[in-house]
Amino acid sequence: MKNEKHDPATEDRSDFGPLKGRSLEIGISLPRADAYGKVTGRERYAADYYGSDLVWAAVKRAGVPHARLKSIATETATALPGVLGVLTYADVSGSNRQGVVRKDQPVLVNDKVRHAGDAVALVLAETRETARKAMDLITVDLEVLTPVLDQEDALLDGAPLVNEDHADGNTLLKGEFRQGDPLAAAEACDVVVEAVFETPRVEHAYLETEVGWAQVSDSGNLVIVVSTQTPFRDRMEVAEALGLEANNIRIIAPYAGGAFGGKDGVTVQSLLGLAAMHARGRPVKMWWDREESIIAGTKRHASKMHYRVGAKSDGTLHFLDAGLSFDTGPYDHLGGVVMTLALEHGGSCYRIPNVGLRGRAVYTNNPIGGAFRGFGVAQVTGAMEQMMDLLASRLDMDPLALRLKNAVRRGDKNAAGVTLVHSTGLVECLERVSRHPMWTGRSLWKQSAGPFTRRGVGIAALMHGSGYGPLVPDVANAKVELTPEGTIRIYSGVVDMGQGNAATNLQIAGSILGQRAEQMELVQPDTDRTLPSGSASASRCTYTFGNALIPAAKSLKLRMLQRAADLVMARGPEEMALIPGRVRNMATGTDIPLARLAQFMDASERIATHRFRAPTAKDPVAVDEQIRLHGFPHTLYSYAAHVACVEVDELTGRVDVTRYLAVSDCGKIINPQIYEQQVQGGIAQGIGYALSEEIVVDQGIIKTPDLSTFIIPTAVDVPPMESHAVEIHEDTGPYGLKGVGEIATNGPLPAIANAVADACGVRVFTNPLTPERVLEALSRAHSHDGGSA
Amino acid sequence: MRNVHLPETIDELWNIWEHDPEAVVYAGGTDLLVMLRKGMVNPSSLICLERIGELKGIRAEGEEIVIGACTTHTTILMNSLIRKHVPVLAEAVKVLGSPPIRHMGTIGGNIVNASPAGDTLPPLYVLDARVEILSREQSRLVPIKEFILGPGQVDMRRHEIVGGVRLPASPQYAIHHFEKVGRRKALACSVAGMAAVLNISDAGIVERARIAWGSVGPTVVTSPAVDAALEGRPLSEATLKTAIPLVENAVSPISDIRASAQYRKTVSGNLLRRLCRYSHSAHTTRAGHK
Amino acid sequence: MKISFVLNGEPVEIDTQPDRRVVDVLREELGLTGTKESCGSGDCGACTILVDGESRLSCLMLAAQLQAREIHTIEGFEQLGRLHPIQEAFVEIGAVQCGFCTPGMTLAAADLLNRIPTPTRDEIRAGLAGNLCRCTGYQKIVDAVESVAARGRHEAHSTEEDR
Repeated sequence: MKNEKHDPATEDRSDFGPLKGRSLEIGISLPRADAYGKVTGRERYAADYYGSDLVWAAVKRAGVPHARLKSIATETATALPGVLGVLTYADVSGSNRQGVVRKDQPVLVNDKVRHAGDAVALVLAETRETARKAMDLITVDLEVLTPVLDQEDALLDGAPLVNEDHADGNTLLKGEFRQGDPLAAAEACDVVVEAVFETPRVEHAYLETEVGWAQVSDSGNLVIVVSTQTPFRDRMEVAEALGLEANNIRIIAPYAGGAFGGKDGVTVQSLLGLAAMHARGRPVKMWWDREESIIAGTKRHASKMHYRVGAKSDGTLHFLDAGLSFDTGPYDHLGGVVMTLALEHGGSCYRIPNVGLRGRAVYTNNPIGGAFRGFGVAQVTGAMEQMMDLLASRLDMDPLALRLKNAVRRGDKNAAGVTLVHSTGLVECLERVSRHPMWTGRSLWKQSAGPFTRRGVGIAALMHGSGYGPLVPDVANAKVELTPEGTIRIYSGVVDMGQGNAATNLQIAGSILGQRAEQMELVQPDTDRTLPSGSASASRCTYTFGNALIPAAKSLKLRMLQRAADLVMARGPEEMALIPGRVRNMATGTDIPLARLAQFMDASERIATHRFRAPTAKDPVAVDEQIRLHGFPHTLYSYAAHVACVEVDELTGRVDVTRYLAVSDCGKIINPQIYEQQVQGGIAQGIGYALSEEIVVDQGIIKTPDLSTFIIPTAVDVPPMESHAVEIHEDTGPYGLKGVGEIATNGPLPAIANAVADACGVRVFTNPLTPERVLEALSRAHSHDGGSA
Repeated sequence: MRNVHLPETIDELWNIWEHDPEAVVYAGGTDLLVMLRKGMVNPSSLICLERIGELKGIRAEGEEIVIGACTTHTTILMNSLIRKHVPVLAEAVKVLGSPPIRHMGTIGGNIVNASPAGDTLPPLYVLDARVEILSREQSRLVPIKEFILGPGQVDMRRHEIVGGVRLPASPQYAIHHFEKVGRRKALACSVAGMAAVLNISDAGIVERARIAWGSVGPTVVTSPAVDAALEGRPLSEATLKTAIPLVENAVSPISDIRASAQYRKTVSGNLLRRLCRYSHSAHTTRAGHK
Repeated sequence: MKISFVLNGEPVEIDTQPDRRVVDVLREELGLTGTKESCGSGDCGACTILVDGESRLSCLMLAAQLQAREIHTIEGFEQLGRLHPIQEAFVEIGAVQCGFCTPGMTLAAADLLNRIPTPTRDEIRAGLAGNLCRCTGYQKIVDAVESVAARGRHEAHSTEEDR
């Protein structure tokens, strides 16, 4: 087996299979650089690291949602043959706390259990089986406390506190945004609609569950190979939690087997680091099984949202008031940031002069709420876009016309008080939809439904901000090298968890440097080799890193041309050109192979770096500093309009999505194939969110801990999808692009909910739209002869 | 560590049991190995039946179709005898689990598992299947209704195995219907399911009906009252509707993570209404749609 | 226990516990980490391998069951150093994102095309329904399998013409 004490770095991938020989042009569908290694099974994910003399680490979890820790008896487990050690909080010499904003999550519980998935003890054993057996031999003495299970109960006077040291009790963070005079405006509306929406807690269900491998090197440094979205931030968190120096920790992040926000922050890292520190130099592996992943990992926040929206009789939006509440579980993780992004997107993509938005993230003893593709926007868009349909129905207006009438255009102020100074293509998206046969032919299609079938068509307009907001620097540092062998090596600081940014980086640098795939190498994030570039999240990966990579590649190109010109005594770099593998003197036609050129360059010259910081909103929006620090507001938004066609079975309540359309404004496209992947994948996740996915929690215990009870779509559950792009050039974007990673996820819930309401004449306000909820609504509609939508 | 025996004949199996009496048998492993992983069972050793040729295959034997216990769902799905004579079973198997689960899982396993949600069971009930039970000493035939005693409970003694299942080829039914309600279209555990076999006269009158529901009681639910309510009447929306209260009376579902008891009850009745697609009027107006 | 079987075209003999899961034998004892594990309970298909040419879940198979079988994992799927047409289509058409479902999905597609050489899109979806993918929404996977089937049709057609 591999992985004896040699460098565990990911292989610098230079064999891109079918990509060989292709020109890396911008704007064309090239096969992804990472596809070849993955389709042959050669790609080494964090899950694939083993090594001889491997130690397995496993976690004993609390199993109860709220309790005071009295003692942990580990002697019997430690005595089991094959057990190398059982560690508890007493073995942690650092702060024993991790977290992105507020550091409130213990590596190993020291005072209180705050959710059933809390880690109580860490077992090191020769085999996984032995580790499991040992776990059963650990006795944890707990004084059970009354759990906080409901986000409204959590705020009642006298409610037990989840985190006693938090000044605001069980309110992790609350925020408010106001523009205009919402109170007076409500009175001035011709129509006001009101509704309460509930959305479920949802699991990411990446195929590669949380996993890592770690070892303390001979020089005493801790090396962790891990499936993560945030290697550089992980390093700081692990250092602080375990009491190490950050520069003695190296985090390596191979291609991740899916993440979707669930690996935005520490999962196995600190536990693994702690295990490695007690493994006497042996490599340690920890791999959560599916049940552990669901029980211990973060979830999309369950939400409760109370909306009131008002308009003039001509459909002009005049007023919005919304209260947004998110169950963040016992730890901050990114709960405050998620709530803040929801607050910013509460009024979605419309011009609304009078807005009152209140949001809060509430501590409970339920599973941890965290980042999940869509990041709070999936919830509020779900609500707001259903409000638009409710309003359209009250005004007797076409739902698309109502959206078009109020859609933000460049130069407008959006509902979060941001003046839109960047490309704003929502109107184009809506207009494209309005001409599409799925929309124009919807009446006819609905009329031809079969027996026991009702058909409906629903629309949703979308907006999603990208990046970190006004204060936290959204920065990437790109590094490009001409290697001594004459290849171009790209050092990416942003993880590729499947979104395809590694391939896009190759395309960008290859295009600038005129090289084909076989002259290129990709280095995946590694805190020792690549430069800090922020998280793989927030629809920022290619926008921010691409903006750093382009100048870095251009600067390397110029340096190569200059040195080549000097070498052949040409007048200047303008006489030289980069062609695959060579620099050509255009005047004489003579070529210098890149390997030869590299010999004439010093190591420091062969590397170019560039830092880029994403632009921020300059609007003096009326929110407090805490909310600004948590990311309110953004300046750059992507837009989209989605349409779903559904069939509802009257006998079972089953909802079948038959077709799906997405028209998106995410700027110009570097690789149409990767762009479509992001849109299609986002839609499929959104369909699951709309129809079947729900982490059911009873008394703080997850009742859906596996993939037979947490129901994500299979290949037969996803309909044919059509994706169109409104390719508006975004001036600040690399090659004119904007973020496409998240926006599509936000569309299906409202589009499908609106389609189901269109089909049934009655609306279900709680997601997912299970057959049971839909059948119940249908019978309600039947008994009230239509009811109100 | 457990031993795993791989007998190739039934006689070998009996010999293994003689020396290793506590060994537990499995066929496809799609249930037992899942339970093993969850720690629900902990047998000292295992016997995998997948290589016993005598327990595999589908054949016509006189007036019966005989399916060996270790016949995989995929084999059943592809088999022409099944498709011709008992398509209701093929329809149920088609929506069982997923392709790899069907490649591995067997009909014998589905029967012995006796899950209320077992997809092959409602068809076996309406077809009056008989289960063949083998031991070293004897073999016996038990009607499926008597074989399955409760959730996970069957009429089987120590060191017996299911050898196969026998389906009478008559009466022949013209209409074979199966519908499963799950939380998604594949890889779904049944929330409610209904198998129905019917014969209709030229005049559109139901001559014979056998209907069974899965996942809405501790075992598959059949109701002579429902069958009788349809027989002798035209197959119509009106006839089917009048039988719904009888269905709701017959089922005794529970609430679980997938659905509530009330939903299961309502849907059990509603699924009956789907049968009006086979009424003669539906046939003439929607010819070619099936 | 000694177990002999054919692995990716080569006869092998391993000495292992008979009740080890095949996925563990492949990954940990034989170093074939292309076979992935994601659920351990037959709900996802990530661990799909071919046993005598038919797709099986290696998390629900015990080592003893390997005896005398012909096993293919993703590592043995290339033919004479060239990508199998299914792999090639997955790469070209963009059926690969995070890639963790890809080995299992590829082998499931092979099983499907063995059974139904020219499947409809619905048949492709049904044939892959045991393999969960959380990235792609399946559409490009269906496109890729369809393109292989179409090419198969085309090749069969041109072979006939060649005669």
